[in-house]
Amino acid sequence: MADQLTTGKAPAIAKVVATRRGRLPFLTILGAGIVLAWALVAIFAPFLSPYDPIATDFNAILQPMSRAHPLGTDSLGHDMLAQIIYGTRVDLSMGLIGVAAPFVIGIIIGIIGGYFGGLLDTLLMRLLDIALAFPFIVLVLAIVAILGPGLKNYYIALAIVAWVPYARLVRAETLVLRNLEFVEAARVLGYDSFYIIVRHVLPNAITPAAVFLMTDIVLTILLGSGLSFYGLGAQPPTPEWGRLIAQGQTYISQAWWISVFPGIAIVLMALGFTLLGDGLAKQLKVRQ
Amino acid sequence: MSANLLSVEKLAIRFTTPFGIVDAVRDVSFTLERGEILGLVGESGSGKTITCRSILGLLPKNALPPAGRIYFSGVNILDLAEVELSQIRGEKMSMIFQTPTTFLDPLARVGEQIAESLRYHLKYNHAQGRSYSIELLRSVQIVEPERRVSAYPHELSGGMKQRVMIAAALACRPEILIADEPTTALDVTVQAGILELLRQIREERGLSIILVSHDLGVVAEICDRVVVMKDGCVVEEGTTRDILINPQAPYTQKLISSHPSIDLNVSTQVQEDSRGSTSADILKVENLSVTFKATEGVLQHLFGRGGAAIRAVEGVNLNLKQGETLGIVGESGSGKSTIARTLVSLVPPTSGRVIYKGKPLEEMTRQEFMAYRRAVQMVFQDPISSLNPRMTVNQTLAEPLLKHRICPAEEVDERVDRLMRSVELPAELRIRKPHEISGGQCQRVAIARALTVNPEILIADEITSSMDVTIQAQILELLEKLRDEMGLSIIMISHDLGVIQKLCQNIAVMHNGRVVEYGTAEQVIKLPGDPYTRQLIAAVPHMPVKASL
Repeated sequence: MADQLTTGKAPAIAKVVATRRGRLPFLTILGAGIVLAWALVAIFAPFLSPYDPIATDFNAILQPMSRAHPLGTDSLGHDMLAQIIYGTRVDLSMGLIGVAAPFVIGIIIGIIGGYFGGLLDTLLMRLLDIALAFPFIVLVLAIVAILGPGLKNYYIALAIVAWVPYARLVRAETLVLRNLEFVEAARVLGYDSFYIIVRHVLPNAITPAAVFLMTDIVLTILLGSGLSFYGLGAQPPTPEWGRLIAQGQTYISQAWWISVFPGIAIVLMALGFTLLGDGLAKQLKVRQ
Repeated sequence: MSANLLSVEKLAIRFTTPFGIVDAVRDVSFTLERGEILGLVGESGSGKTITCRSILGLLPKNALPPAGRIYFSGVNILDLAEVELSQIRGEKMSMIFQTPTTFLDPLARVGEQIAESLRYHLKYNHAQGRSYSIELLRSVQIVEPERRVSAYPHELSGGMKQRVMIAAALACRPEILIADEPTTALDVTVQAGILELLRQIREERGLSIILVSHDLGVVAEICDRVVVMKDGCVVEEGTTRDILINPQAPYTQKLISSHPSIDLNVSTQVQEDSRGSTSADILKVENLSVTFKATEGVLQHLFGRGGAAIRAVEGVNLNLKQGETLGIVGESGSGKSTIARTLVSLVPPTSGRVIYKGKPLEEMTRQEFMAYRRAVQMVFQDPISSLNPRMTVNQTLAEPLLKHRICPAEEVDERVDRLMRSVELPAELRIRKPHEISGGQCQRVAIARALTVNPEILIADEITSSMDVTIQAQILELLEKLRDEMGLSIIMISHDLGVIQKLCQNIAVMHNGRVVEYGTAEQVIKLPGDPYTRQLIAAVPHMPVKASL
């Protein structure tokens, strides 16, 4: 059936593919819905939240779920629902900001190494091997431990370490594209390398990296809340979900809700991005 | 002897695809006699491969049960269950494929692969299998079969792999051999050897062969009868001689007239052309050599010691005159593409000079070099991958105009229009992307893109080799028209002497990185001086009569 590519029936096929692309699988829509819902929660937090998340109320310490506090309160009388709602802002932005630098750095390193090859590529890839030689989480922990706790240092640690998979993915694509004839044609037409990379290589090389980006957001959120759990990430009183879980640890037998509800929130956010990422990967595979 | 060994009656095959049900083969009937070589000819999508696969019961999963009948020694194959079919396959009928590289298991020794069917069908033991494999390898004319029997596929050349595949297919002494484009991936001199082998095997074993091919030349060379297919239907059937000399169906006539066979009798029409001889050299290649270093690692980088060097091009001299078409012909690995890539500065020359209008490239200023880059444009082999899949035809053609400021921005639209007209592309394709147009159309876009920068020299590197002959004929015609209208000089690179002769005044024959023969088309083809050229010309499959169309 590959023959149809050359027999002029292609336009009809393109139309069919376009309509099929419109019909997304249920799980992808579910994932997109979850992500969208969290984004809305983050944006409209002040309107949705019943209380100020960091207002202490010593008359309502370790309250179980009630009409006044739908998800209960913690040991300082903070309302859990309010903290989770405001925590959306912290965790969502942690995922998005955390992947931004690695994404950009990885793409630049991968595309430059793949396109120019030679000594430059060899050096960049050895750099990559060095970053890869240390276990990822241990390296992030070490960097954060040296720079000091806090989300800003977490982002710096990610920028130093987490670009590796992006560089690998983009380089692999670039190696193939570099020898494709449209890229050579662009060189023959006398375009400069920068232009060719930006206009002809990048748009065709970025797809796998973009798919991995979705998975990476999940990993970044999980690792970030993990760090906060250990006290290396968000600092109190920032209502970060991982930190909230850690906070409830001491009271787990009397007030389980302090740890459980932020945990559910993390799971739901991770689920949303995972489903969306899987769906995206499948759609792109269909197109190719 | 003349009993029908196989008869296909009113065969129809349909596929379910995501785009609905597709008729692949409709109402196909033909017969195969004992000891006959039957050619099945058609262009891509004509259903010839599917027809063959249905004979072996090897249809893809999305095929609906075929209608019609296929009788093999009195039994309708289409009624057989899979178990019974597997008895026939290999033992009674076998098949060889287009790409021996993917057919052979890279991890198994050649002998084991040949003996596999013997052990399965005829219960040979290991030693028997091995000794019979050696015998088979000898019969397909592989030298030193005792050594080759324990070789791995990657140790063999393309032609030898194809011979191994034939040996494996012959192992159980089948009555029918189906050969699906057995020589398409091979060089002509190798192809000639394989065709000769098939003919001998037929003589020796009384085998019947169905040869599937898009190449009328190949079919003319060895087939007794020919079935011509188009769009899943049989267009014409008859003896090879009848079909080639006196084709009835218009499609067959078109196929024959499109076939670029070389012509030893008629002098090339471009010979008297005065432009070629009087005008000045626009491009000169002096003593050009290109050497590639084999794989480099970090240590080699650091210590500056390269791996083994591969000489791709050695001491090549060529001249190109204004308005001339120079053909470079050679088999794979002869270095012809490397020359093209050196001329457009994709590959640096190791030694020697390229001189453009009297000025060597290395003495050019940056500005002069940029002008040279634009003056020499290239069109590539694979039409689909030569276009950026994310850009529309319009974007592809407008890009160089804007980027190099060839014309004011407001005129770009009109320019693109004019370019599309000059390569005969309908205007409505402007908004299409490469995967939405056909291969031939993609190649036209690629040619138009090369023309955007008003080049003086166009290098065409195997630009028609992935195309059906009728499309190929159209593209060659287009090139001829562009050359005459725009005064282009063209360097045409091809493995196909027929294509080269159609268009070129001068021909350079390349072999192992050297130009072994260089002269006017007439000289080279009629009076070849070099033994390799003679071999090359003799290897090209001939049609018995040049069609008088």
